[in-house]
Amino acid sequence: MKNMNILIASVGGQGGLTLSRVIALAAVGDGKSVRTGETLGMAQRFGSVVSYVRVGDEIHSPVFDPGDADVILGLELIEVSRNVHYLRRGGKIYTADEVKPPISSSLGIAENPKKSDLISRVSSKVKEIGGELYVIPAREIAVKAGNYRAMNMVLLGAFNASYSLLTDESVRKAIYQLLPGRKGDISVNAYMQGKSLNLKDYRKK
Amino acid sequence: MNPLKAPPGTKIALMGNEAIARGAIEAGTYVMTGYPGTPSSEVLMTVHEFGKGLDIYAEWAANERVAFEIALGAAIGGARALVTMKAPGANVAADPILSAAYSGVDGGLVILIADDPGPITTQTEQDSRWFAELSKLPMITPSNPQEAKDFVVIAHELSEAVNLPVILRTTTRVNHTVGPVETGEIKPPKKYVKFVRNPPRFVRAGMVWNRERHAWLLQQLGKVEDFLSKYGLNMVEGSGSKCVVTEGVGYEYVMEALSKLGLKEGVKVVKLGLLYPFPKRFMSEVLRGCDEVLVVEELDPYIEFKVKELAYELKLDVKVAGKAEKLLPEVGELTPSTVLKAMKGFLHLDVHESEGVERLEAPPRPPPLCPSCPHRNSYIGLIFGILKAGFRREEVPIFGDIGCYALSVNPPINAIWTEHSMGASIGMAMGLKLSGFKGPVVATIGDSTLFHAGLPALAEAIHKKVDMLVLILDNEVVAMTGHQSTLTWGKTELGRETKPLSIEEVVKGMGADTVVVVDPYDIDRMISTVKELIRKPGVNVIIARAPCALHAARLYGVQKRYTVIPERCKECMACIKITGCPALYIGEDHKVHILVEDCLGCGLCAKYCPFDAIVEVSKG
Ligand code: SF4
Ligand code: SF4
Repeated sequence: MKNMNILIASVGGQGGLTLSRVIALAAVGDGKSVRTGETLGMAQRFGSVVSYVRVGDEIHSPVFDPGDADVILGLELIEVSRNVHYLRRGGKIYTADEVKPPISSSLGIAENPKKSDLISRVSSKVKEIGGELYVIPAREIAVKAGNYRAMNMVLLGAFNASYSLLTDESVRKAIYQLLPGRKGDISVNAYMQGKSLNLKDYRKK
Repeated sequence: MNPLKAPPGTKIALMGNEAIARGAIEAGTYVMTGYPGTPSSEVLMTVHEFGKGLDIYAEWAANERVAFEIALGAAIGGARALVTMKAPGANVAADPILSAAYSGVDGGLVILIADDPGPITTQTEQDSRWFAELSKLPMITPSNPQEAKDFVVIAHELSEAVNLPVILRTTTRVNHTVGPVETGEIKPPKKYVKFVRNPPRFVRAGMVWNRERHAWLLQQLGKVEDFLSKYGLNMVEGSGSKCVVTEGVGYEYVMEALSKLGLKEGVKVVKLGLLYPFPKRFMSEVLRGCDEVLVVEELDPYIEFKVKELAYELKLDVKVAGKAEKLLPEVGELTPSTVLKAMKGFLHLDVHESEGVERLEAPPRPPPLCPSCPHRNSYIGLIFGILKAGFRREEVPIFGDIGCYALSVNPPINAIWTEHSMGASIGMAMGLKLSGFKGPVVATIGDSTLFHAGLPALAEAIHKKVDMLVLILDNEVVAMTGHQSTLTWGKTELGRETKPLSIEEVVKGMGADTVVVVDPYDIDRMISTVKELIRKPGVNVIIARAPCALHAARLYGVQKRYTVIPERCKECMACIKITGCPALYIGEDHKVHILVEDCLGCGLCAKYCPFDAIVEVSKG
């Protein structure tokens, strides 16, 4: 297979790191090569977090450059807009319909963008390079699955429905390895719900 | 799957640091210690999470030098030991490490030093490869998680073969990268064997002995390249007279670039796993086959200097290029594209680079203090106390230290004036005062940082009778690096009982003039205490004690939360401007809202809302 580069854009505490780990575990479970690059350590909660995930037959670098992401998985729209230049020509973005303004916005040091503005800005950039943007009510779906925290798995489901990168069995195993018990049940549930979405309904043109 | 207990031959996705922990277990390491520091912390944390029931010692120490001394003490008795630290930690441990090169070890002793190009979470872009030169200790470096694991085992073998501590040097992109790792055999832990009195070896007070040991050290170093040759740490791939010499994650970027350029032949890639002593025999042979060399390495032109030096020694007519020639940057971390660009220039190739769209502007989101963080209250209390005492903010320098509380530098709190190195707040405050500064000075320091390196400075300040206010931010945990134990805990992570130290007893015992313990959530008391002590002569200590809110929420759940009643909110923004709490935001209706799942219930915003718009909502 061709190597696949996935960028996960999130706010610290939203589950971006768990998402990248689930993909990595599932990919190895499926016998694929994988590398991820993360930024850990510093009080990352509420800061911008980017994870690089690369899956393929032979992977070397843990990170990739702007213009090289096949897919962006976004848990928050400001973070998606911050990282949209990572998308390659024809790439796709699956993002939660979520805005968490940072303190700089609340303090009036930086702008406090509206959700609709964020979506249209990202969408026009995506259009420039012939990509696709899906804005998914991930919170709603995750809450139905059992907990808003499972938004990350809703996105994984939506993404995997289009790309079939990982087998459901490996995703399930990876989820339970990281989140045993009820958290795992909810996450698997959220993943399956994300997978069964009719994505056409969420495409932004 | 438990990465430490998985049987040999299992293929799992592990982070570099988890792989190092696995390697330590495979090598039969019995004593594991260190001081938390990004990007090295997850090695011991992995052992804490997955090592229950294994017969090993794995505990944090007060600082890196103590940790190293513990590991050294174990290794001179024949046990195998591992000590972990981030790059600045190696500076803290430098004194005992340099002497250890003269005494040597009997059991394997591996020192993990994790550098942080970028830097991503470190005060400097220190290149610790120079540390090998300085200490004259063998240094090896892995490129990915699999090697990270394997190299720990090799480092132990080498350490016992040449009787020297061995440095395993990593960078963030190896420590924090997840990749597939195949596990190996697990050896039983190697504990104490014997320790025999031998002053020439272990007593550094004899200068003749020291000269003898120095000669011994050089002789041991001479054996390293030979011993390691069977492990294939240094390798050559491809062929041609154009050579790329690389190490660490740089190798992965080089391989990535070659595959992007579609090159399988015509370039020789030389990967060095052994950094010190420089593998001269191996490299001499390689260099003789090269016309041109590009050196790809993170941080300083270290290998580049070595290669140039060797080419000069061998009188070879080979062109060596790298950072000195500005093909690669010395500042910031390497990326696949900087390496690709350098390779293209080196190979005179023109390849279409990937193109995306222009960046979109987005409001910055640096990590803030968490919702309900007690440090927020401590600093707000400190600043209001200073104002209440009749000073202007710019009249009272607030010295900061290393920990989450350094995030108080950002708006809206704008508290600390300095953040330098572990424990430096007290000494620097003292220096300013002694230099003739007339106003009050404040040093602010966390609980773990105090034990790490703050205590000698505090003793100094008390002894020298320097007037200052010392604010000890005691959140009862090493928070920033992921919630590790401190010396005030009654138990280690693996459950061994310990004697909890009392900060107030320690500080009182040193002779501080005033010692007060305040709950920072009682912000009025915080303010009045600061107001009272800021003008008082002597070394006055406030211990602001409340558990890290994030840690407490994880352990015990959240008891209450707050919400905004929109009709009452007059959009004055007092709540946001005073607290800067990230759970507060301004909605599209221009009113303040609280993301209820983020609020951890400190109530500070409610206290400062002049319109009582923020109210408590009970649990659930
Ligand atoms: S302080 Fe009270 S009134 Fe002012 S913005 Fe905040 S919630 Fe609204
Ligand atoms: S009570 Fe207010 S200041 Fe405290 S965590 Fe909740 S939103 Fe933040």
